[in-house]
Amino acid sequence: MTALLLAAVGLGAGTLGALMGIGGGIIVVPILTAGFGLPFRHAVAVSLVVIIASSSSAAASYVDRKLSDMRVGVVLELATVAGAMLGSAVAGLAPVGLLKALFAAVAVYSALVMWRRRPAGPQAPEGAPYTVRRWGTGLGASAVAGAISGLIGVGGGFIKVPVMTLAMELPFKVAVATSNFMIGVTAAASAYVYYARGDLEVAVAAPVVVGVFAGARLGATLLGRIPAARLQAAFSALLVLLGGRMVWDVLRGLP
Amino acid sequence: MNRSVSLALWAGTLTGVGLCGAATLAYALDVEAASHLARLGVIALFVTPPLRLAVAAGGFFAVGERRFGAASSVVLLALLAAAVHAALR
Repeated sequence: MTALLLAAVGLGAGTLGALMGIGGGIIVVPILTAGFGLPFRHAVAVSLVVIIASSSSAAASYVDRKLSDMRVGVVLELATVAGAMLGSAVAGLAPVGLLKALFAAVAVYSALVMWRRRPAGPQAPEGAPYTVRRWGTGLGASAVAGAISGLIGVGGGFIKVPVMTLAMELPFKVAVATSNFMIGVTAAASAYVYYARGDLEVAVAAPVVVGVFAGARLGATLLGRIPAARLQAAFSALLVLLGGRMVWDVLRGLP
Repeated sequence: MNRSVSLALWAGTLTGVGLCGAATLAYALDVEAASHLARLGVIALFVTPPLRLAVAAGGFFAVGERRFGAASSVVLLALLAAAVHAALR
């Protein structure tokens, strides 16, 4: 019964994530801690496994359509993986309250970005040539994104995509596809560390993976039929609530 | 190379998700093999990123782009070291 409930939670998180264009981690972690009483680090470990599954399938499509810049991806992965290993190692030592506060900050930041999101302006045509600039900035931002991913179990696309578009001057679609290409490897580097520490509960991870995977497909199907823009405000509010709940947990001293 | 990388990603992901799906059903039906299936599913997902890195590294070396092949190989070695460390715990 619990397995089916976890799969249903994953289905909801995957659907919402696909509709809102964000990863499932930001939804999965607070639900597992608040709804199922999972310790924070265990919820982060489950989230990382979910991220491997969802980003790998998205990356497979993007790579097949030649949208990902694999050359940029493999270079930036050097930094994301180093950051992820460091972040996940620090997560084992850092006070849970600090990790939850960081998670709450990322949730509120994501809510603000979603709230202020505007329709994309004119885009460069697909396949148009571009020159990659500011590799140093990209590598630095990727290391930070990897570290945050390892600390709190989110994908880190909210850092990488803006840096790749604004600093490295990649077209938006290429940046999104390349970020997805990297996220699975980054999450795996962190997940191994959590697994080694005994933080990963496979009995929880398996149903949530299935639910999020199915939900991501459902969300992609619904995307054209549901006025997703109207859901953005409600979802932004939900993220703020989830972040607030984390802060509340910190104040009550929950694990 | 794109096709090979894409196939590697699909193969690992679908195997992992399929095993996780079987595990979920087994948990729901209280079948004893559930935890083994869940562990296998997670391991299949764990293997997917290194598999993708290996295929990409091979692809880059095959077309003579050694720097990118080397970058992929370095990340692959780091992941394998972490995976071996995790497996030995």
